[in-house]
Amino acid sequence: MMNKLHSIIFAYRYNPDLRELIQNRNTCSIPYGGRYRIIDFMLSNMVNAGVVDVGLIVHANYQSLLDHVGSGKDWDLSRKHGGLRILPPFGYTNKTGEGVYRGRMDALAGVRSYLENIRQDYVVLAGGDLVVNLPLREMLEAHIQSGADITAACTRKPQGEPKNCDYFTLAGGRVTDVAVRPPMPQGVESLEVYILSKDLLLSLVDHCAAHSIHSFSTGVLQAMSGRLEVRPFFYEGYVARPRSTAGYFARSMELLDAGTRAQLFLPERPVKTKDQSNPSTYYGPDSKSVHSLVADGCIIEGEVENSILFRGVRVKKGAKVSNCILMQGTTIQEGAVLKYAITDKNVQINPGRMLMGHHTYPLTIAKNEIV
Amino acid sequence: MLLAGGQGSRLHALTSHVAKPAVPFGGKYRIIDFPLSNCVNSGIDAVGVLTQYRPLELNSYIGNGQPWDLDLSDGGVHILPPYMREGEKGTWYKGTANAIYQNMGFIELYDPDYVLILSGDHIYKMDYAKMLRRHKETGADCTISVLEVTMEEATRFGIMNVDEDDVIYEFEEKPKHPKSNLASMGIYIFTWSKLRAYLMADEADEKSSNDFGKNIIPAMLAKGEKLVAYRFSGYWKDVGTIDSLWDANMDMLSGGGGGVDLYDQEWPIYARTPTRPPHVTGPNAKVDHSLVTGGCEVDGTVENSVLFHSVTVEEGAVVRYSILMPGTVVKAGAVVEYAIVAENAVIGAQAHVGTAPTGEEDWGIAVVAQNIKVGDDAVVPAKAMITRNVKGGAAK
Repeated sequence: MMNKLHSIIFAYRYNPDLRELIQNRNTCSIPYGGRYRIIDFMLSNMVNAGVVDVGLIVHANYQSLLDHVGSGKDWDLSRKHGGLRILPPFGYTNKTGEGVYRGRMDALAGVRSYLENIRQDYVVLAGGDLVVNLPLREMLEAHIQSGADITAACTRKPQGEPKNCDYFTLAGGRVTDVAVRPPMPQGVESLEVYILSKDLLLSLVDHCAAHSIHSFSTGVLQAMSGRLEVRPFFYEGYVARPRSTAGYFARSMELLDAGTRAQLFLPERPVKTKDQSNPSTYYGPDSKSVHSLVADGCIIEGEVENSILFRGVRVKKGAKVSNCILMQGTTIQEGAVLKYAITDKNVQINPGRMLMGHHTYPLTIAKNEIV
Repeated sequence: MLLAGGQGSRLHALTSHVAKPAVPFGGKYRIIDFPLSNCVNSGIDAVGVLTQYRPLELNSYIGNGQPWDLDLSDGGVHILPPYMREGEKGTWYKGTANAIYQNMGFIELYDPDYVLILSGDHIYKMDYAKMLRRHKETGADCTISVLEVTMEEATRFGIMNVDEDDVIYEFEEKPKHPKSNLASMGIYIFTWSKLRAYLMADEADEKSSNDFGKNIIPAMLAKGEKLVAYRFSGYWKDVGTIDSLWDANMDMLSGGGGGVDLYDQEWPIYARTPTRPPHVTGPNAKVDHSLVTGGCEVDGTVENSVLFHSVTVEEGAVVRYSILMPGTVVKAGAVVEYAIVAENAVIGAQAHVGTAPTGEEDWGIAVVAQNIKVGDDAVVPAKAMITRNVKGGAAK
């Protein structure tokens, strides 16, 4: 077991363009892929790389996240020593006295004492809002072999919206410049996953705290690109960073493609999530399910097409669901018709209702609502 | 105390690698999940599972008991295999009563007033707390759960003959001419001090076959102890044979209506389940009246069937009235009907496994054992028990 890597996951991102989906939660705990929360992917990446200590930095709206990760038991992170540590913003106030962390360095400064006690030589910094199956074990090996100060995961296949992404300029196998949230893509797209040594991390945190630097991208990668050797680690598989409802919808729907699923759901690096003891999904007589991803515990008596159904969804007789994402506990009553819609948890669509969005603007029904 | 040592020899190929209680059931479960979940839902938090036949898979399945919330520092679930004791001979469990006798030390760790004895081969939901309440109310020394069966069926069960207060005065094992239709479900609550005395006496009797039904219950009746029948109504199925296992699986196909309601959140059945993504239905999929589990990829036709996790049904394949255990692959154009296919078996393209009922005597459910490969175009007839790879072409 590899025990050289410690993980810090930043799990406080909150993207207003996700509208209804973030009413009661932050971006990291949005349901994704039929049975997961977005945070599951990064947590599983850590565990699959043999990481045993994970610090989860949270800030606001994290109740749903805590509910989900619990003690970390489902990821084997409930341990006598180490394991999962939730790091809430204890006593944190920024200059205006409120608001979320102004950047990763700001967040890390807030947990400085935790960082000191890290038992491992290396630390991986990653966002909890990234859907990816990243081979972190290989990334650490590459980091150690190259002797770089920082190894930064990136992809040549741009998948995000430029206004939400960082881009690296490469020269001689090194990252020489960083474009932060530019209007147009330029260079390779950063996944904002970094590996560096614990010692370097601590000195960077102290340096940034002393100079009021809050951002890792601008304050460290950009400002110190001459002094630090930053090397890229390429990953070309599926990467999703939902920042808007339309983006969430589009990237989710890509999972209906077998090739995409093969990049995210690997038998050797399984994505783990909270166990809920659901029975199998039951298909009634005359039901229809085509080109869809369906989790356990559903009862489907109507028709489902090009859709993603989370656990415990009910589609009653005569109901027609196409191009939809139905989250856990959604009930579609008899004869209701849904197209291009996202229903959040426990939504109920009453008999005969007809709801239609568009793939550029999927109709989103907030948690617990009845239509 | 859950008796899980059964070999399940009548399940043939399905128990060549695992003990009967570990046989997969109902899409997501193993047989033992039912009594184990019943215990937890009834508020019982100390469970001994007695194993001896092919215990490896069962032991690792139960593990620390976490899926059933039985990973407790006080109580929890304990695997109890037979063991050697110093100075004397150790033996396999000679019978159900001997299995409990050998673990009296375990039971006494908890200093219990009452002991519940269960078997690991029945599918049902039952609140043992209610049965215990009745045991206390009647002041019984032993309470036996019974089910009303038809008089014809009664000849296949242990039958309790009772008075108007349901006090048992006679027990008959598989009677030719039953006097009552109250069949024992193999679920007993004993007042521990009484059971302890009878277990000691039974062990001392060299002629005894050390069995609850054959020895302990008759001995208690003979001595005039108070044995009371506890009437259970609801779904209960012994899954000791291929036919009954197939039947019971088919009973689960009702979306909560018949069989055991698997979707009832008041009485959940827990299982240890591997991490698999949601199942996928392809562009050509047709799924009807079936259970489908995580990790499955279905692009063929599935009707009246139970698919465990990670089953693949390729385009053009047809699966009807069948049970496909985890990891099974049904290749393009193959037909599987009235069959049980065990873990990781592969049914080749255009192969045909099983047949619809013909009305003839030699018809039966076809069984393909785990890891078996049935070649392309091969034909496996009804009632076949396939334990070796079948070559392609029209093999037997």
